[in-house]
Amino acid sequence: MSDRDREPQPPSDDAGAGGPEDPSRRRALAIGVSVLGGGLVVAPLVPALGFVGFPLRGAVTSAGGDFIAAGSRAQFGPTIPIKVDLYADRRDAWAVERQVKIGSCWVLERDGELKAFSTVCPHLGCAIEYDEEASAFRCPCHRSEFDLDGTPVEGPSPRGLDTLEVKQDAGLVAIRYQRFRQGVGEKVEA
Amino acid sequence: MAGIIDWLDERMGARALARRVANPDIPGGPRLQYVFGAVLVYLFLQEVVLGVLLALYYSPSTATAWASTAYIQDQVTAGWFLRGLHLHTSSAMVVLVVLHFVQVVWTGAYRRPRELIWWSGVLMGMIVLGFSMSGYLLPWDQNAYWGTQVRTGILGSLPGGEPLKTLAQGGGELGNLTVTRFYAIHVFLLPLATALLLAVHLIALRKHGVTPPARLDEAARAQTKPYWPYQRVLDVGAMAVTGAALIAMTVYTHGAQLYAPADPTTAFVARPEWNFLFLYQLVKFFEGPLQIVATAIIPGAVTAALFALPLLDRAPDRSPRRRIWVLAFVGAVMAGVVALTAIAIVDDAGNEKYQKAHEAALQDAARARALAAEGVPALAATVVWENDPDFKVRALFKEHCATCHTIEGKGGQEAPSFDGYSERRWLFDLVRDPTAKRFFGGTKEHNAMEPLPASDVSDEDLWATVEYLYSLRGDAKDIDDAKASRGKALWDDTLECNGCHELERKAEGAAPTLAGRGTLEWIQRVIADSSAPDLFADAAEMPKYKDKLSEDEIAALAQFIVEQGAPASTSEEDATP
Repeated sequence: MSDRDREPQPPSDDAGAGGPEDPSRRRALAIGVSVLGGGLVVAPLVPALGFVGFPLRGAVTSAGGDFIAAGSRAQFGPTIPIKVDLYADRRDAWAVERQVKIGSCWVLERDGELKAFSTVCPHLGCAIEYDEEASAFRCPCHRSEFDLDGTPVEGPSPRGLDTLEVKQDAGLVAIRYQRFRQGVGEKVEA
Repeated sequence: MAGIIDWLDERMGARALARRVANPDIPGGPRLQYVFGAVLVYLFLQEVVLGVLLALYYSPSTATAWASTAYIQDQVTAGWFLRGLHLHTSSAMVVLVVLHFVQVVWTGAYRRPRELIWWSGVLMGMIVLGFSMSGYLLPWDQNAYWGTQVRTGILGSLPGGEPLKTLAQGGGELGNLTVTRFYAIHVFLLPLATALLLAVHLIALRKHGVTPPARLDEAARAQTKPYWPYQRVLDVGAMAVTGAALIAMTVYTHGAQLYAPADPTTAFVARPEWNFLFLYQLVKFFEGPLQIVATAIIPGAVTAALFALPLLDRAPDRSPRRRIWVLAFVGAVMAGVVALTAIAIVDDAGNEKYQKAHEAALQDAARARALAAEGVPALAATVVWENDPDFKVRALFKEHCATCHTIEGKGGQEAPSFDGYSERRWLFDLVRDPTAKRFFGGTKEHNAMEPLPASDVSDEDLWATVEYLYSLRGDAKDIDDAKASRGKALWDDTLECNGCHELERKAEGAAPTLAGRGTLEWIQRVIADSSAPDLFADAAEMPKYKDKLSEDEIAALAQFIVEQGAPASTSEEDATP
């Protein structure tokens, strides 16, 4: 501010510039303006940051988590995977959608055990398709290919297909739908 | 900081620009009564920032406006505070507009050559009310709905107002398009108009400077000081006091009220925002055909007078004594507004019925918002598929049939599967082994029909028989006649099927007659009542749907089941795996 003090006053068309200037008074006023002005900006800034950052504090959308009925055990065989759509309530910010399709998985029997692979590609999240001719799972976006055990055979996927937990009770199958982090080698819940 | 300013100064003359734009001299020195305009600019900028923040969460549609506002109010960090501050700041703007207006009228600052400053100012004052009115609807709560209903109703009651009302509402009634229109007006049009008018206001103000006191003597003239920092410190001080008061008020009131979601079917005692109470009260004084006096004539006349003020005021100077009639007119208008507002408030305070209704409304609001914490049920756009007739019939099938019958590999196994239903391949497999799970293996009493192994009938003979049976439907056009007649011979002479199955329509036997079997009409009859004597008679296991479903529903289901057989093979060659 000291520069300004040395500068000549701008010409005025209405009246001459006022009396003698007191630099220290000007400085005090300038500091006062800065403090008050800063306060005006900062006071709403703190709640505003919390407001904008709200989605960082916890999941805004959520669905699944519990086991979801996926039909009878008898429909699943060892050679051809069957696509199962999983329905549950989905929470999306203020809204809740009742019994909507929250995701799908490919189900088949491997070594006598029932396996459910999430259709979400571990690479970047496209929907995995089953290629009947090649007996392989394929991602239509980046050409990752997986065998019937979900092991990656080709393409950029950093890990095999994500298995979902399967529960069986009295000939009925239930599957727990989860989403996992994409693009990393390890299967970690998202 | 100084380094950055130096850098900018060197390259774009920042200091000279700042001086020229923002550092005029204040004739007679800084005064507290000059702060109102600056505070209004500050409040407007605060509203813009708060508005952008709220828009991060608010969703303008009748299905989501209330839900997203409740989400802001009760879930999002500091949401209640920022929303409350947005509302209270808008109220403060109305107060500051009035103070600014009074100060300008008192000093005669509207006079030549400052007409543009005055006109842009009057327009901005009206826009402040426009913000209040449009923002009022956005939460889409009971208050918003009924308050807006009254206002658009007033618009519609004016001569030629009906099309204006439809245009403002985006239709004949309040709805989705009202919300989107008011939203667009509130967040795009009005801020843009304000910015343009503010530019005119400030450029013209810079040209003519702050209006000095009416009589500026030598002593006062000597007090003249530059804007920075003397008037600035008063301006910023006033902003700080206003800002602090607004924060305190927001915390004290815990933000803004949010009533229960808008419900056009319930009654609600609506009251306008405090700054419109005077008009509300005025309307009460003018009944029937006179209503237009309160809704249009008086407000219109006052507005016109305000616009014309610089042209009407012919006083030789700005001295208040020479402009008594102007001050008297404005004073009377202000007194009228204050008095009407006071009457409205006192009326409601003494109105037990209103108090009770308001108490009930607050209880509804609390209940609705507590329920909203669990999420407001919504439909995703994907439900549009449910409009598809195919979806509807599938839903019917799932509800009534899928427990026992299978389609596309899914469903129960207590009754025959419909995949490839009644096609040649299906019939072939059925006749070979009716006890398979795919056919009658899971149906309790259906064990009379025995398997027919290849040792008894060769594949070739069985295909011929199937061709014959298929021809009995009566609606198949691709029958291989030679094969069918060979099948007929086998049927008549070799096989023992005719012991149970008849071949004429409506003929009663121990098993269903095969004439017309598998056709649309036949399936419809089975769904309606499978125990008819020419159908499954005593062996019928299936519930009778003639009383449970409508004829249209049964027809749709039958058509759906027929289609399950359609894409399958039409000849032996295709059908044989």
